[in-house]
Amino acid sequence: MGVEELLSQFGGKYAQAFRMTWRLTILAFSIALVLGVAVTVLRVSPIKPLRLFGDIYVQIFRNIPGASLLIILVYAFPYLNLVWSYFTCVLIAAGLIPSAFCSEYLMSGINTIPIGQIEAARSIGMTFTQMITKVVIPQALRASVLPLTNLLVSTMLTTAIASQVPLNPQELTGLVAYINTHAVGGVTAFFISAALYCASAVVIGRIGSLIDRKVRIRR
Amino acid sequence: MEKKNKMQDQLPVIELKHVDKHYGQLHVLKDINLTVRRGEVVVIIGPSGSGKSTLCRTINRLETIDSGEILITGEPLPKEGKDLARLRARVGMVFQSFNLFAHKTILDNVTLGPTDVLRVPKAKAREEAMQLLKRVGVDSQAAKLPAKLSGGQQQRVAIARSLAMHPEAILFDEPTSALDPEMIGEVLEVMTELAQEGMTMVMVTHEMNFARRVADRVIFMDAGSIIEENSPDEFFDHPATQRAKDFLNSIKDH
Repeated sequence: MGVEELLSQFGGKYAQAFRMTWRLTILAFSIALVLGVAVTVLRVSPIKPLRLFGDIYVQIFRNIPGASLLIILVYAFPYLNLVWSYFTCVLIAAGLIPSAFCSEYLMSGINTIPIGQIEAARSIGMTFTQMITKVVIPQALRASVLPLTNLLVSTMLTTAIASQVPLNPQELTGLVAYINTHAVGGVTAFFISAALYCASAVVIGRIGSLIDRKVRIRR
Repeated sequence: MEKKNKMQDQLPVIELKHVDKHYGQLHVLKDINLTVRRGEVVVIIGPSGSGKSTLCRTINRLETIDSGEILITGEPLPKEGKDLARLRARVGMVFQSFNLFAHKTILDNVTLGPTDVLRVPKAKAREEAMQLLKRVGVDSQAAKLPAKLSGGQQQRVAIARSLAMHPEAILFDEPTSALDPEMIGEVLEVMTELAQEGMTMVMVTHEMNFARRVADRVIFMDAGSIIEENSPDEFFDHPATQRAKDFLNSIKDH
């Protein structure tokens, strides 16, 4: 089947899948950001068990494949009486893994902050929480816009793990599998999905560098 | 003399009693005893590595101590947590490298402490911050980020940031050492005004003329100990110890 034929037959489904991919991406990335910031705060906290917990968290989620995590959530967790929808399972898997990377990027962002600024924050009587929320995290985020942009792209690609479960509607990768079981889409079906991933990544990249130019701190 | 006598009656703002500190094997502070009374300007001088910066930084516990006691207006300095933060807010600090918050405007640098630590309403904090910025001569830069300002301007903002907290005392840790020569004067001028207005100040500096002019008392340190403690005129004209003489001679050459 050619591109035109595929699109005329499955165009609506591609549009649906594209929306699904974006929906998963944005939600998963939001989870990754929130958890990433939270774990980073634990990792720099003055309480050792919290730091340890944060480090272990990152080691775990940085080092398991998304597909494995999804399969555990979908097929193993029900034995613990934890049954979630496929959509939720995909979101958790596609959010937890980038959250570990998010924390790593923020940690290196924190390392760009001169220690003197921390001392200055202390010397005006800021508590740890105030220092983290007003001085440390804002600067770490500003320093990490480009790596976080890449993380957003890779989060989008991670949402392809949803093709492993019967999500409805499907996202871009799942749709390819669907098309190839219902018609002879062949490699062209992949190309259309790939083109949509690429186009999204280009847009994300452009927006990311615009934001970076605006918020990056020149020292 | 008159000022000195008056000072004897003033309450101590900062007291260090038998303070000791080691960095591993190195004994960096040896049995330091120091009392700074309200309104007093104490200048700490000494060769590099003598412990003067460390001493300055222990006063608001940016450096911990091994033993001894530090009191701020009679209250012992807490070890950590909210109590320490509360006490730190009462002692300002100005650093060698300015340390302004790089992501915040000049104005926000000055208001952050008052609004977040002292819970001053935003509008009032801004108003007061603008007055302080005017006082140190950088009010026209209020909306800029620190990186846009010269070193001298940044340091004056750092002083305004300290003043905004209405501190009992301000510590200056080599405030002009990172500045280009032509900017040192503008910072020293602000500091001189503060001293004249009766701010309690402890400063580590290499500006000997300035020290002589504004100090009520000079502390000379070497190898972690206070070697001499005297009025500036006495100290600079008649140093009592050989080490102080050697130090003063070594800097006279420049």
